Amino acid sequence: MTAEAALLELAGVSKRFGRITVADSLSLRFQAGETVGIVGPNGAGKSSLFAMIAGDLKPDAGDVRFDGRSVLRLDPATRCRMGIARTYQVPRPFENMTVFENLLVAAYRGGQLSRLQGYTVAARILEETGLSEDANRPAGRLGLLQRKRLELARGLATQPRILLLDEVAGGLTDPEMAALVEIVEQVRQRSVAVVWVEHVVHALTRAVSRIICLAGGRLIAEGDPQEVLANPEVKEVYLGVDIGA
Amino acid sequence: MRVTRSRRSALWGIVGALVVVVALATLPYVVYADVTDLLVNAFILVVLASMWNLLAGYCGLISVGQQAYVGVGAYTVLVLAQNGINAYVAIPAALLVSAAVAVPVSFLVFRLRAEYFAIGTWVVAEVFFLALVRVRSLGGGTGTALPGLALIDPVLRQAVTYWSALAVAGAALLATYLLLRSRMGLDLTAIRDNELAARSVGVRVTSAQRAVYVVSAAGCGAAGALLIISQLNVLASAIFSVQWSAKMIFIALIGGLGSIEGPILGTGIFIAIQQSLAQLGAWYLILLGSLAVGIAMFLPKGIWGLISSRLHLQVFPVGYWLHRQDSPSPLAGEPLSSGSRDFPRGQGRGGGS
Ligand SMILES: Nc1ncnc2c1ncn2[C@@H]1O[C@H](COP(=O)(O)OP(=O)(O)O)[C@@H](O)[C@H]1O
Ligand SMILES: [Mg+2]
Repeated sequence: MTAEAALLELAGVSKRFGRITVADSLSLRFQAGETVGIVGPNGAGKSSLFAMIAGDLKPDAGDVRFDGRSVLRLDPATRCRMGIARTYQVPRPFENMTVFENLLVAAYRGGQLSRLQGYTVAARILEETGLSEDANRPAGRLGLLQRKRLELARGLATQPRILLLDEVAGGLTDPEMAALVEIVEQVRQRSVAVVWVEHVVHALTRAVSRIICLAGGRLIAEGDPQEVLANPEVKEVYLGVDIGA
Repeated sequence: MRVTRSRRSALWGIVGALVVVVALATLPYVVYADVTDLLVNAFILVVLASMWNLLAGYCGLISVGQQAYVGVGAYTVLVLAQNGINAYVAIPAALLVSAAVAVPVSFLVFRLRAEYFAIGTWVVAEVFFLALVRVRSLGGGTGTALPGLALIDPVLRQAVTYWSALAVAGAALLATYLLLRSRMGLDLTAIRDNELAARSVGVRVTSAQRAVYVVSAAGCGAAGALLIISQLNVLASAIFSVQWSAKMIFIALIGGLGSIEGPILGTGIFIAIQQSLAQLGAWYLILLGSLAVGIAMFLPKGIWGLISSRLHLQVFPVGYWLHRQDSPSPLAGEPLSSGSRDFPRGQGRGGGS
């Protein structure tokens, strides 16, 4: 263990679904104000990792510690209020609520903000994430791209201390991607930890200071983005996957 | 930036509702008792259907055991009346006792999920029934009369019963409206739309559901109190009958789940059908059943859902509307600048993802 206290720490986390291993004694640490990328082939266990951190999924073994305290026995709502926010790879908007209301409920509950603070924060985040035009539309009427933005915006509205982004960049144009990288950087500067699962590696390398590569629930490589992506083992697990795409 | 609670002014709906309540309150002076008796029945059904809508339409809790609280409410009034307390005064007590009973019961039935929850609530209602028929002083299985009220002049009694029922229905709708307008309303709509996502943004799903379960029990208890008062007697097998659940479900489904207006409209339709077709006997029930199935299949938001999506009509607005600085004043009536981004007309609810 290093001297610097980690904001989030996974210690020997394991999880299996029958014969599929999604986490094989994973030990990871994330610091406040750090942006970390996670890559790995489909089925590597990236989304399951987020689910175990956020409390949607119970690990078979190991511990998840937030702020030095085990959160394994806490439900997702409590973990969110403590500052753990996740987005879903397949967006889960509140379809019959407006986009603004989607953010309000996150700000009131996850962020525990007052009514007026909630309004202000939600409106600001809509502006930042380019959703202002859609503020009063039912979320169910949004297209996939907008739904992904809403995932990000709703995560931000919970006032996270660690933000888990699960493939929010797919399908974005270059300027939109730049805007997303900019948002992530702004969030990081408020000493939030951002953990970002993404297949669009060139976006990731611009935004993160460290990359983790997972495959079959195991840690394949970890460290400087360029070094990890140049690692032969990482190239191996990505065989057939165009990591530059 | 400015936020209002509906796209258009809510004042209109409030004034309208007040006018309706005042008009209804004068009815005993202008119509015969058969009309007010019919309306008492309607008010009771509005309360029951609204409470079921809160559970099913907002929490995804399908209960077929709310008759447990109808019974608890009725028997609370009976016990208090037997001890010399005026039955009308006992209505708030019925409400409180039902709510109090619902708290421990919720810890029991909330361990069950989906269809098991439905069956569990029914079992609870049956247990309450079996327990009460064993109490001789409360009439056992053969029923008993409500003491006290029979001595009052019938005309006055019918009028006071009518006003009580109007007050309970008004209070139930107002409470539903305020609940849905509060922050808990946001929790509930979020839970209804996506329970997993609601948890992950910090909503305490079980506490919100428990709160609504207790509120719903209170409303059903008040309805039970009105039932015994309007009938002047109580029969355990009738008051604890699963038929109450069938009526709540039918009314809420045809009127429309997930809106305050739906159960009101549904009650109107139900009473109309009941009045015009009840003499058809079994056919009447078959017709009701087919109508409910048809609406559930083709109009998942009920008849009110159809009306409100076509006309963009909301009598009780509970949403939030964000007015941005660069958009025109809401009083100009067009808060969004680009028409194409506005609600497309005539579309069904796009479910799924
Ligand atoms: N609830 C579940 N039950 C069974 N298998 C699951 C479940 N969730 C995920 N899996 C399986 O676990 C593996 C890892 O999934 P996931 O974490 O989504 O991977 P990734 O996000 O890296 O693509 C996949 O093979 C997936 O099919
Ligand atoms: Mg995934």
